[in-house]
Amino acid sequence: MTAGNGRRVGSPYAPHTDADEEAMLDAVGVDSAEDLFDIPDEVRFDGEFGVDSADEQELRNAMADLFSRNEELTEFLGRGHHAHYVPALVDDLSRRSEFLTSYTQYQPEIAQGFLQVLFEYQSMLVELTGLPVANCSMYDAATALAEAALLANRLRRGASGHRVLVPEHLHEGRLGVLENYLDGAAMEIGEYPMTDGAVDVDALADLVDDETVMVYAETPTVRGVIEERLADIGDLAHDNDALFCLGSDLVALALLEEPASVGADVVVGEAGALGLGTAYGMGLGIFATREEYLRQVPGRLVGVSEDSADMRAFTLTLQTREQHIRKERATSNICTNQAWVALRTAMHMAWLGPDRLVDLAERAVTDARDLAARLDELSGVKAPLYDRHHFREFVVRTDQPAPAITNDLAGRGFAVHALTDHHLQVCITDANADAADGLVAAFEEVI
Amino acid sequence: MNFDQARFSRDDEYEPLLSEKDSTTVEVDSEGVLPDDLTRDELTLPALSEPQLARHYTRLSQMNYSVELGPYPLGSCTMKYNPSFTEDVAADPNAGVHPDRSDRTIQGTLGLLHGLQEYLADIGGMDAVTLQPPAGAAGEFTGILVAKAYHESRGDDRSEIIIPSSAHGTNFASAAMAGYDVVELPSDDDGRVDMEALDAAVSEETAALMLTNPNTLGLFERDIVDIAELVHDAGGLLYYDGANLNALLGRARPGDMGFDIMHYNVHKTFATPHGGGGPGAGPVGVVDELAEFLPSPMVRETAAGYEQYEPESSIGKVHGFAGNWLVLVKAYAYIARLGDAGLADASAKAVLNANYLASQIDLEVPYGPFHHEFAATSGERDAADVAKRMLDYGVHPPTTKWPELVSQAMLTEPTEVEDKASLDDLAHAFNAAYADSDEALETAPSKTSARRIDQVSAARNPRLSWRALGDDE
Amino acid sequence: MFEIPDDRKYLESHEWTTTEGDAVRIGISDFAQDELGDVVFVELPAEGDELAAGEEFGVVESIKAVSDLYAPISGTVTAVNEELFDAPELLNDDPYGDGWMLEVEPADESEFDDLLSPEEYREQTE
Repeated sequence: MTAGNGRRVGSPYAPHTDADEEAMLDAVGVDSAEDLFDIPDEVRFDGEFGVDSADEQELRNAMADLFSRNEELTEFLGRGHHAHYVPALVDDLSRRSEFLTSYTQYQPEIAQGFLQVLFEYQSMLVELTGLPVANCSMYDAATALAEAALLANRLRRGASGHRVLVPEHLHEGRLGVLENYLDGAAMEIGEYPMTDGAVDVDALADLVDDETVMVYAETPTVRGVIEERLADIGDLAHDNDALFCLGSDLVALALLEEPASVGADVVVGEAGALGLGTAYGMGLGIFATREEYLRQVPGRLVGVSEDSADMRAFTLTLQTREQHIRKERATSNICTNQAWVALRTAMHMAWLGPDRLVDLAERAVTDARDLAARLDELSGVKAPLYDRHHFREFVVRTDQPAPAITNDLAGRGFAVHALTDHHLQVCITDANADAADGLVAAFEEVI
Repeated sequence: MNFDQARFSRDDEYEPLLSEKDSTTVEVDSEGVLPDDLTRDELTLPALSEPQLARHYTRLSQMNYSVELGPYPLGSCTMKYNPSFTEDVAADPNAGVHPDRSDRTIQGTLGLLHGLQEYLADIGGMDAVTLQPPAGAAGEFTGILVAKAYHESRGDDRSEIIIPSSAHGTNFASAAMAGYDVVELPSDDDGRVDMEALDAAVSEETAALMLTNPNTLGLFERDIVDIAELVHDAGGLLYYDGANLNALLGRARPGDMGFDIMHYNVHKTFATPHGGGGPGAGPVGVVDELAEFLPSPMVRETAAGYEQYEPESSIGKVHGFAGNWLVLVKAYAYIARLGDAGLADASAKAVLNANYLASQIDLEVPYGPFHHEFAATSGERDAADVAKRMLDYGVHPPTTKWPELVSQAMLTEPTEVEDKASLDDLAHAFNAAYADSDEALETAPSKTSARRIDQVSAARNPRLSWRALGDDE
Repeated sequence: MFEIPDDRKYLESHEWTTTEGDAVRIGISDFAQDELGDVVFVELPAEGDELAAGEEFGVVESIKAVSDLYAPISGTVTAVNEELFDAPELLNDDPYGDGWMLEVEPADESEFDDLLSPEEYREQTE
């Protein structure tokens, strides 16, 4: 179909010529494609959506205009969602259409490239966590945590209760997702207190019991605190036959205690801190665990095999865990996942290599410490609030109302999060560190 | 068409692993940064230069098939062309903001989300849409949680979800995750919902019926109005699995058919790239009565601009933040580019392509009339083997051995993006593979990077990281 | 034709049990292993666990399918064929011999009467 000016009025991505269309209709034996729709009249839609088609250039301009309505602020925001500088190599190679426009590797012989990338991603997570099994992605840290709790519950069907213990300082998104996932399994959530930003291990000891199927702790916490007693928390969980689930992120894992060495049974968290950027909260969920829980792992796993030419080859494996085979008894309903984000994250990790990855993690400690110290010098400001080691971010107490301060800072080009009436949270990474001087100066002006 | 996929190999391996190119162990000595007992001892990862990495990943990309290389008619997956410009739009630096930004400072982001909520509501005939679910299965789970919250708000405790046996596996898993018992519904002789069986299955325990329409055989459920009435009369809700929406754009809307809840697979219908397995997005639309239960936050337009809000009886969160933002941007761009006429044309061509392809293949298609996809049967021949042989003809084969209603099924969805010549190539691949000798089928493929891969040894002896390879050698 | 030895009894769901001798053994039939294809994983109860006739006692998996295992009779597990965990292919190679799954101390020998005879099972699989 063409309009008077010769421009097609149909989909610009349907390539049929009029002659082709006619030949195809002939072959099928109908006069019009409309005759192929077997839809009863009573449910036919004769209306319009009211969306005019747009040409590519005008649409790109319109969308650029739309996004320009976002204020250009330098973000010192974190709370569990972080962005580091993403090298050009990641954008360039991840956008190769061979990767981007493929799908799940149901035919592994023709999809070795992506399978190898995912295998390498899994392998790097194994190196970072010390746990031998990592899947090739969950949606984000919140859903990964929820899946870990479901796994713990399946493993402990005989337990007298079905409680998951989580820290008092937990991101509201993670808590909310956890609540929704646990509801259907008749599980419950208990919260344990924190002291000065870290786990109150004595209080946790009083709470963990034989009704507990999993104890969850994070390092760094959502407030940026590096947890110092992970091994004790792990012991408490294990003494009560509960799983110990540790939440972290890839950069922190490069520096902080290896999860396997502190007794973690499952590691979850956010991997999108490498390779993705802020992306309005889009994520990449880490899921790693012990070998003995392999059959209970949610999501896709890539394994090694051989092909008929006796060459090493990769394939999706252990698919009987998954929904397309096990249906209502699957370990999870996940199908489409975050594979392409995992590819970007793997590329970013590989680009950094071990030296620069550890350096990046060390900077997350020292930059946060330095920035907190500079803010602490200002009158009416205490930073960090907690007398702890921090990773990337920290809480600031202000004498003046925090919401007013964030408002004023926004007016000076900086985005900082107001946690409560007198608490702010500030996050620094290599992506915004060059603006730290400006932030300190702006702070001085607005308090 | 002749085809040879790239194959980089050495000895008994294809492209070496990163870890085989380099493995560097650094000692973590963070003196002055953190106390020793808070840090790990060492870290082992590959340390490679950027040129080495560029070559590694480019080679791997060449050992991967994709929509831009050729037809990819995986049934139920809607592997259509992903317009290049949508990638550029999503990469706009102004589009990448942190989720903790205040509403006032991200009017562009919220404006796009609001616009997409509206587009999708119109396209599905729904009243309100959440964009938060990060995939189709997450959308199903969200929709079932909404149904549960609705029933509970009325003091109505229901325990069952009815699902046709031919439905996507995610339906069953999502219903079970939400705590429901699954009641499986057999199909009738013509491949559609068996009305008698449905009548017997529906009861006061029925929380919802999950249905795909057209169903997984590509058939429109002609009795949809009666189905809706039956379920509604029993107090249940109707859930629409949007995986096959590409068949209906501009011709029928789930909302008009009586569905109360639906999810959209934007990576299928709205052309966002599948990314080797994701990310997708699974927005959920509902009718007015259910809008108060949608996840938080939603976006609305006020006199002062766009703002986020929590629906009155919200189920809460299904993703840590706002879902898969980059995917949503691309979906918005696709819908805005095509408009009404383009969307309607996409469905017309998708349905024409499926019907034309079916008319050109020698395999029987037992059920019809079908729309955007069809389930052919390879009869006496093993569908998985036929599929492997099709690879040698330079096309991706269909989904095999599913749905189980058709024995040796080859579920085929060419989408609207193939032209006649390409469909003819695809038909040739079907017919040639189908007619090939047993030996040719069993030894296929040979033109792909890897030859037939042994699935059994992969599962019997799982080796899931490069560390596990070391154990063997 | 699938092998259906005469010295044991069968369930419609394709498990077999021996009925005489020192130890009563349980496994799956030749027909079942063929339907499944290459078995890659077996999950069985532990020694000392109780079986209830007609109830699930384990799982057997191939690449593309999962099957529950049902107990032909009630009783206590006295031995488990642990070789299956490392070599699940024994189920394909020798379902009535080395591919046995459990040895059981029967709780109620009259339950044998409720099972299919080889002839009845043969009819079912034809």
